[in-house]
Amino acid sequence: MLRITRKTGERIMLGDDVVVEVLEVRGQTVRLGIDAPQSLVIYREEIWLEVKRENEAAALAASAPLPSVRFKGAGE
Amino acid sequence: MSLTIESSRFGRVEVDPGSVIEFPDGLIGLTGSRYALLARDPDTPFLWLQSLEDPALALPVTNPHQFFSQFQVEVTDEDAERLGPELSAEVDVYVTVRAAEALEDFVANLKAPILVRSGRGYQVINQAPGCELRAPLFAEVEVETNGSSSSAC
Repeated sequence: MLRITRKTGERIMLGDDVVVEVLEVRGQTVRLGIDAPQSLVIYREEIWLEVKRENEAAALAASAPLPSVRFKGAGE
Repeated sequence: MSLTIESSRFGRVEVDPGSVIEFPDGLIGLTGSRYALLARDPDTPFLWLQSLEDPALALPVTNPHQFFSQFQVEVTDEDAERLGPELSAEVDVYVTVRAAEALEDFVANLKAPILVRSGRGYQVINQAPGCELRAPLFAEVEVETNGSSSSAC
């Protein structure tokens, strides 16, 4: 992994059009600002991971046949 | 004109090209960007997102409003831009479903709903508070299945 040391207000470039700026450092917390093209979707890693796992689990669990379900109270 | 697709689960399926959804950014963590939305059984509230690129990949989805009366989607400004201007009733909302043996163990992912507009789909992170990654699907609604009935709790 590339390691770069930055100060508050300094930036790094990812390619030509993605800019990551260190906005604030407070204790264990770093606030970053990211400027990226709209086509690049940005996620917090832990959320991306849990959604990925849930998507995979949905695809795998689906080997069971899905039940026919009728909502009670729905029109007959 | 119909389109013939291959599915490990359903075999060779003829689909209406109108059921094809392009996911420019894919589904989160999964490969591929083209899926068909299949309604396999009119008696279930479940649909299938069948990958057109990977016959083995299919996810069951459902309309969350049928199960969760309080369900709402709030998107970030960035996601709103991806979806395009004037979001409204033109957007179909689905959530993935994790099936299980017992109905009580079915869960839906309310945290990452799939928004579909004009043949394009986006899985977004829901900013509305209290949206669970694994929300019990049958917690709120009462349903009948195969002659037996099941209720919440």
